[in-house]
Amino acid sequence: MSSRPLRDGASGIAGVPKPDSPSADTPKATPAPPVPVTSTANDLDYSNFFWGSGKDPFDILGPFDDWFDEARPAGYYLFGQPMSSAPRPRVDVVEQLHKKELSGLINLASYNYLGLSYRPEVIEAACEAIRAYGTGASGSPILSGTTELHDELSRTLARFKNKEECLLFPSGYGANLGVIAGLMRSGDLVVTDQFAHASIVDGIILSKAQVRYFRHNNAADLERKLKDFSGRKLVIVEGVYSMDGDLANLPEIVEVAKSNGARIMIDEAHSAFLFGPNGRGVAEHFGLDDEIDIHLGTFSKSLGGQGGYVAGSQKLIRYLKGFGRSHVFSCALSPGVVGGLIKACQIARDEPELRDRLWANTAYLQELLRERGVDIGDSRSQVIPIMIRDDDRVFKVAEDMIHNGVYLNPIRYPAVGKHRSRLRISVTSTHTMPDLREAADIIARVLDRHGLLCR
Amino acid sequence: MPLTRYHFKNAVNGFFEMSREHAKRLVPDHLEPMELKHSIGVFAVTAFDFTKSEVGPYTELVMAVITPPRIAVGGEFPRSAFYPFVVGTSTQASRLHAIERWHLPHYMADIAVDFQEKDGSMVVHAHEDGRPILDLKVSAHKWTPVNHLYQAFTVDSPRRFKADIHMEGAFTEHEEESGDLVLHPHPMCEAVLSGDVASFPFRELWMRDGVQTFEELQTI
Repeated sequence: MSSRPLRDGASGIAGVPKPDSPSADTPKATPAPPVPVTSTANDLDYSNFFWGSGKDPFDILGPFDDWFDEARPAGYYLFGQPMSSAPRPRVDVVEQLHKKELSGLINLASYNYLGLSYRPEVIEAACEAIRAYGTGASGSPILSGTTELHDELSRTLARFKNKEECLLFPSGYGANLGVIAGLMRSGDLVVTDQFAHASIVDGIILSKAQVRYFRHNNAADLERKLKDFSGRKLVIVEGVYSMDGDLANLPEIVEVAKSNGARIMIDEAHSAFLFGPNGRGVAEHFGLDDEIDIHLGTFSKSLGGQGGYVAGSQKLIRYLKGFGRSHVFSCALSPGVVGGLIKACQIARDEPELRDRLWANTAYLQELLRERGVDIGDSRSQVIPIMIRDDDRVFKVAEDMIHNGVYLNPIRYPAVGKHRSRLRISVTSTHTMPDLREAADIIARVLDRHGLLCR
Repeated sequence: MPLTRYHFKNAVNGFFEMSREHAKRLVPDHLEPMELKHSIGVFAVTAFDFTKSEVGPYTELVMAVITPPRIAVGGEFPRSAFYPFVVGTSTQASRLHAIERWHLPHYMADIAVDFQEKDGSMVVHAHEDGRPILDLKVSAHKWTPVNHLYQAFTVDSPRRFKADIHMEGAFTEHEEESGDLVLHPHPMCEAVLSGDVASFPFRELWMRDGVQTFEELQTI
């Protein structure tokens, strides 16, 4: 490869040093770096290296490595930076380019929407479970990995979701793989939203069913994709779409799916325990809980743990216990995780005020951002995109945000469309109003400096 | 052989979803369609308004399937790669030139490609003596000067070729899904009309006042 020089690197960015004083829990505003120009490394992305060339599968590794050497300092280092604290409203992050610890950043990058991952009762329940059962389940769920705690979590969750039964998976990703490939077969049809999560797409690939994608939330396009197929059909949507924070257009989608004889599955990864009068999810929010055949979700977001689940009829769960291969052929969830999840699920049930606080915080931050001229797309949830719409600049804007005190995630192609790049933020019930006001001020100030405010 | 240069006023391009199965039928056995996502291939339409070339000015319409590029150790990274399965041009001289030099498959009658720019959008109307072939609309995002490397694959059975093509000029692209495509019942569209090509481009690309430079054709 002729290694092309970067026109603009990430050097010279001032970090936020860890405050000397323990009482200094907020970062000092650091003078921002100059507004960047485009980076040559950012002309390419992961999609350019998906397909290899030559006869050796390893032939692609050298070119990828050369590119990544340039791309990492140009912005890719922002992904996967280790935190040195729990995902609380303020976090400490080890900035990977200069190996500096940035302390007291306002955390707008967490899935810990209800703050349950660090609740003392949850931690104590996890510790108790580990003391009683050890750190690992040491077996498949269908062999020796199921403990009484696993059964208790299944029952607790089924009651919360108001479903007959529930099945546990090692992750949300694994839940989609296991459920879709466990139920759908070659010759069947799965129709899913064009923005469906990778785990849904991978589940479809594994099932060998035919797939069609309908335009995002467009029930008329869904109808077109369903109507000429006479075999077995499954429609899959998400409750909240993780890149845009908008909700599934469930009323119209359910109507179209039912009128075309399709079963419906909803992935409530970002919406279960948050939406609806009882926190069951977006399906309950729309009053359509009983119209959905398969309710899927994750434990790693609102409950602050790990794992995935599917809830539904007793017959569905019994079938998937045998055919959901990611359930059958993975080790059961760690007892510590399960113990914490049982307590977290109880808290989510018993403390609806957590959801009230989350929605008050969400409304407050959205209002603050809109007032300041920030483009937040069509978000209707705690997941809020800050639209940058410029793939060359999104890393620099994210870097600037982080060094000014707000921890968030840059999102660019191929995770979203070209020049549909954005910063993704999420609100939790544990943020305070001053946190959110300070964050909104920083976000607006940085965007203004980059010329990205709407007004 | 020296580099071959084509100067153009506009190169307007749309990428459209089509089934991978359909895309596979349009490419020779040694190529695979690029998968945008599982089971979805990419159909590309490009319209050129050439102002200067070895065969004079002419307009051109290219229909292609996007394929994975060949990435070689020590080489520059191509942005993407095309397998053009039908090309139409406005002059006989340009057709003979492209067939002889690049082995590109052509529709053998003269066609016309009209470009109309309005309010940041470009509307392309391709037709043969008034009989419509296709209408394509794309819009601009942010204009940036670039020099991109692409690859084109061609065949002259049993020989297989690859051309490295540099596109230099003011460039814009985006994926706002705001453009559209209408394919008319014309022989040039036959190979795709029977399929399930999307009616809107998921990616819109537009280069203007640029130069397209072909390096020497390589046998692969």
